[in-house]
Amino acid sequence: MLPFVEAYFAPKTDIPRRVYLSVSTLVGVLGLALWCALAYGGLVRPDFLPTPVAVVKAGIAGIEDGSLLVNTAASVTEIMTGFVLASIFAVPIGILMGSFKIVEASVEPVTNFVRYLPVSALIPLLILWVGIDIEEKVAVIFIGTFFQQLILIADVSRGVSHDLLDVSYTLGADRRTVVTRVLIPATMPGVMDTLRVTLGWAWTYLVVAELVAANKGLGYFILNSMRGLFTDQIFLGIMVIGLLGLIADQIFKLARNWLLPWAANP
Amino acid sequence: MAKLHIDNVALRFLPKGGSPVTALENISLDVGEEEFSVIVGPSGCGKTSLLRLVAGLIRPSEGAIYLDGHAVTRPGKDRGMVFQSYTLFPWLRVEENVEFGLKIAGIEQAERKRMAQRYIAEVGLEGFERAYPKQLSGGMMQRVALARALANDPEILLMDEPFGALDSQTRSLMQELLLKIWEHAHKTVLFITHDIDEAILLGDRVYVMTARPGRIKEKIEVDIARPRSVEVLTSDRFIAIKRRIMALIHEEAVRAMA
Repeated sequence: MLPFVEAYFAPKTDIPRRVYLSVSTLVGVLGLALWCALAYGGLVRPDFLPTPVAVVKAGIAGIEDGSLLVNTAASVTEIMTGFVLASIFAVPIGILMGSFKIVEASVEPVTNFVRYLPVSALIPLLILWVGIDIEEKVAVIFIGTFFQQLILIADVSRGVSHDLLDVSYTLGADRRTVVTRVLIPATMPGVMDTLRVTLGWAWTYLVVAELVAANKGLGYFILNSMRGLFTDQIFLGIMVIGLLGLIADQIFKLARNWLLPWAANP
Repeated sequence: MAKLHIDNVALRFLPKGGSPVTALENISLDVGEEEFSVIVGPSGCGKTSLLRLVAGLIRPSEGAIYLDGHAVTRPGKDRGMVFQSYTLFPWLRVEENVEFGLKIAGIEQAERKRMAQRYIAEVGLEGFERAYPKQLSGGMMQRVALARALANDPEILLMDEPFGALDSQTRSLMQELLLKIWEHAHKTVLFITHDIDEAILLGDRVYVMTARPGRIKEKIEVDIARPRSVEVLTSDRFIAIKRRIMALIHEEAVRAMA
């Protein structure tokens, strides 16, 4: 067996950090190289695949005329509003739902029904009801994320060990104290992970909503660029969405380690 | 009057879609003040259920349990419990875990801190006050759990196979530590185990339970002088008692298989 295969291809075995970073960088560079080869080599028509430089130029132009910033700001505002609203309700209700059968009985059936409705199917109805402004985007994100969060957070709450609650009772805690000082803190790592995952989904719903009907936002920016065959702008819009997702994910990761040092991942 | 009086307790439950099960039947036993009583029995005999009944975490189907003459109806801090599973609050540091009961009892911070310090020292964990549970080994976590239960100054300490998940070296160290603490804390203890050596080493008396439905099969006095250390494990008296308990448990295991 080749020495590097021997060393680096054993399941669940650590590899040196240097090797890890080199491999990550190499794959990134290869991806970029492939893109350059296809674009500059004339293998693909430029209106299908823009060159990297064209995308950067589109980005600079977008910043200069403000269109990129306005649309990004619109999307970020919509997603933050919808996501925060959904989370404010989903976290407490989810925690109660996972630990109180009576709450589960009242919330779970309707949740399971709504959860399987693709939110994109509701967009036409929402447009009729609330128009195509920010309210509609917020509604789409809310419906799309709230019910998913509810189920996931209820599961987190359900998973809190019985013994942890029982030991609290034997230490003199009453029910209220057990909920506020034991159940809720115990769910926090799972809640943070749920929020992190569902924020990614919220982006998907937002862009879908903006592609259907909008007058601003990154989805609108992408759709509008398609109409003019501005592939470089389409790429730009997609990349900005990816970049924002990456930033949000890193913020969540840092916040989790900072807020919950006791549950920090090594 | 006995400190803890279990009066003809039975526990029955109906599993989902199954026929009714009698987990415990005709259980009567007394634990005297400052006594160390141990219950051993084959797995599935309901010994954990019995301890949970005393803790007030579940209610008996028949009979009653009295602590200092008062009927047990709910969990309370007069009955501290140490579980087999690790039950430290992972978001609290060692000292905060130990202070948990004191804090909800409304004891002021300086006093809380002083008491926590004392019990942390008692279980030999000075220097780990600021550690989070995930930084501790299994044995250390159980020592914190013990300190946390003791800090509440319970009338009785209920221990449900607290060393069951530990390796055998750690387990014997923990047994010696518990003996040492018990000898000067003068606590009433009800301890559950399936480890016969552990039962004899620790207990003033050992109750052997039958297989399901769990009943008290026999009460055995452990007349081995205190203070004890693991050295008694090889004494003639110890071996004689062990032989007797093993025979009783073997009988039950055979009966359970039949």
